[in-house]
Order: sequence, then C-alpha cells, then structure tokens
Amino acid sequence: MPDKNTALVQGTLDMLILKTLALEPMHAHGVQLRIEQISHGVFQVNAGSLFPAFKRLERAGWVDSEWRATENSRRAKYYVLTASGRKQLKSETRGWKTQSVAIARILEA
Amino acid sequence: MNVFRQIAAGIRELIRRDKTESELSEELNSYVQSVADAKIQAGATPEEALRSARLKMGGMESVKDQVRAVGWESVLEIFVQDVRYGVRMLLKAPLFTAVALTTIAIGIGANTAIFSLVDAILLRPLPYPEPQHLIVVGTHQREESGMSPMGTADFLAWRDHQQSFEEVAIFDAAGRSFALSGMGTPERIPGVGVSANFFSVFGVAPLKGRGFQPGEDRPGAPGVVVISEQFWRDHLGSDPEVLSRTLTLDGKQHTIVGVMPAGFRFPSRRPVDVWAIRRLYPPDGRPPYGLTALGRLKPAVNIRQAEAELDGIAAQVTAQYPSSPDLFAVMMPMKEWMVSDLSTALLVLLGAIGLLLLIAVVNVANLLLARATVRQREVAMRMAMGASRKRIVCQLLTESTVLSLMGGFLGLLLAYVAVRAFLAFGPGDMPRLNEVSINSGVLLFTFVICVGSGVLFGLAPAIETSRPSLADPLKDANRSTSSASAHRTHRALLVFEVALALVLMIGSGLLIRSFVRLSSVSPGVRVDHVITAAISLPYKYEEPQIKQFWREFLEKVQLVPGVKATGITMSLPPDLLAITNPFTVEGQGYDRHHKLQLAEEMAVSPDYFRALGIPLIKGRFFSPSDKVEGEKDPMLVIINETMAKQYFGNKDPIGRRIQTGDPNPSAPWETVVGVVGNVKYSGLASGPGPTIYVPHNENGWVGWTRAMYLVVRSSGNAPDLVPAIRSQLANIDNTLPLAQVRTMDELLDESLVQQRFRTWLISGFAALALLLSAIGLYALISYSVSQRTREIGVRVALGAQRGNVLKVVLKEGLQLLAFGLLLGLVGAFAATRIIQSLLYSTSATDALSFLATSVTLIAVALLACYIPARRATKVNPMVALRYE
Repeated sequence: MPDKNTALVQGTLDMLILKTLALEPMHAHGVQLRIEQISHGVFQVNAGSLFPAFKRLERAGWVDSEWRATENSRRAKYYVLTASGRKQLKSETRGWKTQSVAIARILEA
Repeated sequence: MNVFRQIAAGIRELIRRDKTESELSEELNSYVQSVADAKIQAGATPEEALRSARLKMGGMESVKDQVRAVGWESVLEIFVQDVRYGVRMLLKAPLFTAVALTTIAIGIGANTAIFSLVDAILLRPLPYPEPQHLIVVGTHQREESGMSPMGTADFLAWRDHQQSFEEVAIFDAAGRSFALSGMGTPERIPGVGVSANFFSVFGVAPLKGRGFQPGEDRPGAPGVVVISEQFWRDHLGSDPEVLSRTLTLDGKQHTIVGVMPAGFRFPSRRPVDVWAIRRLYPPDGRPPYGLTALGRLKPAVNIRQAEAELDGIAAQVTAQYPSSPDLFAVMMPMKEWMVSDLSTALLVLLGAIGLLLLIAVVNVANLLLARATVRQREVAMRMAMGASRKRIVCQLLTESTVLSLMGGFLGLLLAYVAVRAFLAFGPGDMPRLNEVSINSGVLLFTFVICVGSGVLFGLAPAIETSRPSLADPLKDANRSTSSASAHRTHRALLVFEVALALVLMIGSGLLIRSFVRLSSVSPGVRVDHVITAAISLPYKYEEPQIKQFWREFLEKVQLVPGVKATGITMSLPPDLLAITNPFTVEGQGYDRHHKLQLAEEMAVSPDYFRALGIPLIKGRFFSPSDKVEGEKDPMLVIINETMAKQYFGNKDPIGRRIQTGDPNPSAPWETVVGVVGNVKYSGLASGPGPTIYVPHNENGWVGWTRAMYLVVRSSGNAPDLVPAIRSQLANIDNTLPLAQVRTMDELLDESLVQQRFRTWLISGFAALALLLSAIGLYALISYSVSQRTREIGVRVALGAQRGNVLKVVLKEGLQLLAFGLLLGLVGAFAATRIIQSLLYSTSATDALSFLATSVTLIAVALLACYIPARRATKVNPMVALRYE
C-alpha cells in the first residue's frame, strides 16, 4: 500500500513519530491525527505505514507500549517514548537539521 | 540497532505468536473504532463512520502482513509455511513426485558415492601428524621421468649427510611377502621390510606395544616384527597377550613387538600384515636399486632445496662408482606419490557423474515445467489476491528445494549402499580405501548439491509459472494452455540434455573401445590350461639347497598325472615383472650420461617356454643338459624378438654375446642361444621392449631364485592339479606354502581390474544418461501431442493423411535431436581430450566411437519420439474437436 500523497523521506516517519510521542504517550490514531494536524495536512500517514513503524520502533527499544483507556473509555494501545528513544530523537533531529540546512543552501545557491 | 535485542525479540514473538496476533488485531480494531468515533463526532452516522474508517485503513490483513514483515522471524515463518505447502503439493501429485524423487535420488546418490571416494583418496590430508612434511624419495636417470627406487649406496650416503629432513627411513620398493608357518597350513602373508625408524617418521603411535627401536636393524639383532590390527584380529584372535608371542616367518622366529592401529596402512596399495626389519649392509656396488625412501622435511626447507641436496650427494656416489649412471633426486609429497596415478581416473568419474546429475536436473526441470501449466491457475489466483511475483518464485523454489532435499536423502541411502558395495566388490588395489566413509564433509557436499540442484531445476519452471500472462489463465476454466515461452524453455533444456547425454556416451564409448583393444592384446603366451603359483624359500636354504630343491620339485611335479609341461620363472605375464637390468651388446659403445638401456631379465627353467607356450623363433630353448652351474661354465641367454630386431638388426643373433648389469668391460660375456616370441611382463598396455632369459641354475643367479612362480600346463582342467602339486611340495618341505594360485586367465583378468571397473562404471552412467534423455524426449513429445490434440483433429478432419500428422509431430523431436547432437559432438570433442591418458591405443576423437554412440542415441531418441507421435495419428477428429 504505497503512500500516495506523502513522499516522506525514508526514515522520516520514525522521527516524526518519536517527536510526537515526546510530548505525551499516545495511541496510533492519536499520533496519526497529530502528524496530520501539525503538518497542516501535508503528511497523511496511512495505517499500512504507521503500524509497521510502531513495531520497528518497539523492536529498537525506542518506544514502549501499554494498554490504557482512552478519553472515550475504549481500550487502546498507548506508545511511550523510552529514554533511549529520547536520545535517538535528539540525534536524529540534529542530523536532520544539519541536512536540511545543507540542502537549503544548495537549493538557494 | 542492537542485533541481540532483535534476535531475542524475534524469538519471543515466535514463541508467543498467538498473543502477538490477537494484540495486533485488537490494536487495529481499536484504531478503526477510534477513527470511527472521530467521524461520529463530526456528524456521521455510526454505520457510515465505521465504513469510511475501514476504507481509510485499507485491507486489515494487508496491514497485518506489513507489520509482521518488520521482524526477521517472518522470513522464517514464511519459509516454514512454504515448506509445508510444498510438501502438500508434492503429496497431491504422487506420480510426479515419485518420478522426480527417483531421478534426483539416483543423481545425487551417485554423486555422493563418487565424491566420498574422491574425498577420501584425493582431498583429505593423510591421517598422520603434519602430513604435508612427509616426502617420498627416489631417484631417476637422465632422460627418465617418474621415480625409480634408490640404491643402498645412495641411501646410506644421503642418510649420513643430508640436512633437509628431520629423519629419513626406507622400505622395500617392491613390498615383500613372508612364509608364515607353525600356525596351521603354511601360507604367505603380505608384508614389507622397513628401517628401524620407519614408524617414528610417520609419528603414528602403535595400538599396542611399540614400533621398532634404533639398533634393531643392526646385523645380528634378534628378529622383531610389528603386525597390523587386521592380522592381529584374523590370525591371533585379538589375543591381549600378543606382545609375548612369536611368528615363524620364512622359517625364522620373530617376536611381535607392536600392533599398528587399523587406520595405518602403508605402503597403501595392498594390505600389509607384517612390518619386518630391512637390514642395510654397505654394498659392494651401486646396484641393486630396491629401496623407496621417505622422510619428514624440516619446516624451513622446501622440496626443491632438498632435491638439490640429494642431487649433490648422488653425484658424489656416482664418482665413487664410475661405471654407474648419473642419478638424480625425485621427491614427491607422500599423498601425491600415493594417489597421482589415480587422480585422472577419479576426477573423470566425478566429472561424468556431475554430467549425469545435470541431466537428471534437466529432466526434473522439464517435469516441473510440464506441471507449471497445471499450476498456472493456482498461481494466477494467488497473484490476483496480492502475492508478489518474487513471493511466488520464492515459494516455488522452496518447493523444488524440498523436492531435491527429499531426493537427496534417498540418494544418501543409495550412496551408503553403493560405497559398501564398492569396498566389498570394487578394485581393492587402490590407496586409502580404508579411509573411505560418508563423513560430515561428504554430507555437506551432498547438502550443497541438493540445494543447488533444487534451485537449478526449480528456477526456469518458477519463472515460467509466475510469468504474468496477458490472457488471464483464470478465465480458461477447462483448458490448460502452455505459454509459448514455457515450451521454448522446455525444448532448450532438452537440447542441452541430449547434448550432455551424448558427451557421456561418447566418453564411455571411447573407454569401451580402449578396453576391448586392451583385453584383446595378446600377452604372448598360450593362456589356456595353465595354472601358476608362487613359492618362496626361506633363508635357511643356502644356494646348493635352492638348486637341489628346484631340481627335485620340478621332477616331482612333471610326474603328476595330467601335467604336460612345468617350469619356474622370476616374472609372470601380464604384469608380474620382478627386475630389469641394464645390458650391453658386444661392440656397442656406452655413454653413462645417457639413460641406460634396460631389459626385463628373468631366470627360468628349461621347460618354462613350453609350459607357457612361448614360441621359439630361432636357435633353441635351454636344456637340462646345459652346463651352466660352474664358475667357469659359459653363460647362456635367450632373448625376445624385439631385442633381436632392435639390437642385432638383420644379423643372426645366435652365437652373439652380451653383457648384463651396470656397464663394465670386464663383466662376463653371455652367449645368445635362442630367440623367442615377445611376452608382456609390464602390463598389457606396455610397449614391446627387450627381454632376456637366463637359466635358473646358472652360476650367479641361484640366489635370485628363492622366490619363483611355478607354471604348469595341464592336459585337462588346470586347477584340478593343485592338490597334487601341493602334496608334492609338502613331501619336500611341509613348511612351504603354495601361494597366489591362479590360472593364467585369472592373472589376465586381475591385471585389468581397474580399467574394467571404470569402463563399466562410466558405461553405466552413460546408459542412465541415455535412459533419462529418452524419458525426457518421450515426455516432451507426449506432452506436445496432448497439447495439439485439437489442432491434429482439425488437420485430420480437413483431410490430412496419417503420414503427414506423424511428420508434423516427429519434426519437433527431430529438430531437438539434431541440435542436441550437434552441441553434444562439439562438447565431446572438447571434453574427451581429458580422458586421453586413460585410453589404450584409442584416439580421444576416435571416429567409430563417436559414430556408434551417436547412432545409438539417434535410434533410442527416435523411438522415444515415435511412440507418442504414433498416438497422435490415432486421434479421432470427432473426439479431438469435442475435446474443448
């Protein structure tokens, strides 16, 4: 199931998820909504990308998960950023900034 | 990312598969609910909300698959699934599976069996500590290749001065056998004489007791022997007190000081029961040359340096014996020395069996291709459900690998039986046979060729089956179509198969022709009604007793009823040559910087020629009345035809004189009294060379006649004489065994064991190859006929004659055959060159072999095509048209 409207750079989705979770633990739909809202609808994350990404992050030990009740008092799986996830986010953000500055320079030159 | 964490997580997941799965479902459901809740809040009805939430997510199963694919364990799971699916599919087509499994089992089994021989004989290191430093040493003359035994003078000088080896030892180059008496019927047991440090050079510890000790080879030391594990078991009942026992060998008491383990077999061509001490006395002259030396090279020295050192020492020895020829060092790593003459034959066998495996692989690939048509619907269905082509190809390859592994397992059983049978019935005079086994290395080889052939024969069908087709096969509900490209692949593979089969068949044709030529070579004697045996006299017989013994024994045997003629000889045809000797013809110069001219020389009794039926060409045979025993008596020789032609040309050789031994002007002259027909003593394949016969009782030769072959010509069935001969022998000395009793026919047979064996083996492979390709052709044409039933029906309905139909169908087969033959002939021209060294007076491009095998292949292939083609002509147009 290819992402049609979002040409997300490979690996960027993981960073965005980490960033979203840095604010507070969230469930999958929450993360999806948050990314769409903050990007003003530029990034539409579909389920086929989102859930594999969670599994990847969990495997890497950057997020943890637990079942909690939602605001609508349904059960949902909440993802929590771990300490090593926080570290990873920092280094990825730094890397991203360096890269985007460099790319911007090239494009504007 | 942490690899260990990944592995641990994967394993955890595999263990709690159900829990993970239900959690994933729950999470996805809760996600859908959550999306729907949001829509309801935005004002949608619950039904609409749920529906659009599901739409937004896409396929639930597809998302699950993508999540599962994140972990490495999913690959494993898919693999297990594929294997189970593959096994199910194979069980659903039992006939196909049985045919494919048999083909693979034969191919892989034969490969495993041959490889286990190659592995044990050629590949594995020798079973001694640091075997790479073990070197076998001999000498040869200028212009000579190969390795000849060393003389005692050379060995002693080398042993005392060399610096390259940690230790050097010797053994009898020709091996030896001992008369074992005092343990029931006297018999001859195989053995070898060695120097006292022989075992310490190998560094192998005895199973019991010890090896020889320094000083035990000094003159006058008490007799000691080391025995083999097998001799200990068979002759001494594995007696634990074996070390206190003695053996009577050649009439002398020897104490058993050690038992070597079963794995130690050296020299390795034939079994060795006892190792005895070979004493070295400082020699009178440079000859005789009867020792093979071996040594453990110092790690820092290479073999070339060691050879240069021995060359120097040999030059000094030549200076000491000016009439002897220049000798040069020859050194070979021990393994090479043991196996070099076998490596070509073994590698050719391995190559042949590899070709057979390829043919088997092609056949199975074609079977799979035929099935591909059947499975195209199933595959199309799976692809329509979203399976990727890669996934399908992987699945089909897994299936074919499962097939080949199952076949390989059967093949392994087959190989085990074949190797057992080979060890029991195959030629026994090969080195290292005791090391042959199906070990982990062989198993690995089998596994690799299994997986390799699985992928190989699965690849083309997998690609064909999963080819996206324009006409949707799902629509073709009741008609199986084979795509044109599948058929093309099928035919290309068959051309290849026919070509491979032809290469194998031509190879076997050449070997058969060479073998027929070799076995029809005349040994130069009359083979029928002759029995031979070996007798050897122990050292308590001094020269007068030896002469006395033979005179008495020959007289007694001559009187046995049914004996027409009886003689004794040092050498027997076709390949039991004892010695060669240099010779000089009177008037001929001598240059010791050239290779010495050598003749096969042997002492024989007067009636030897009559007993073997060797024709007299000129002059006379020896006579019992010849006076030759005294020191002053004239020396007589009989020469063979080749020697008469080569060295006397047109002149009459009778009455001319020669000298034998190393060139020496003062050596006694020997007078030629007769010329006899050529006899092969160095193998049927050997070329004609000079042969010299001397009377066995001649002065100077008696000492050589301790070990002789008895030759008896019978008026009836020759083996019937054996009991009478045996009792005559016992009458004279009941400790003497009559050993190696064979008819002349048997001797000829035994000399061809290796050639016969490899000829049969490769012919067997070739026959299998022919059978497999015939089956392949038959299957293709049958298949093609079944595909074209409708077309044929239309043709017949429109008035085509039976003959026309036959032609149309046969044409396809004939085209394949023609291409296959062409390719095969080209391949054979290139490949048969490799076996040239195995052929006897047969060229590797022998036209008759090429022609005969091609014709055989054509005939069989035509038959394989004709049977299904004939069926096509019987097609009833009405039935064919209704076939749809």
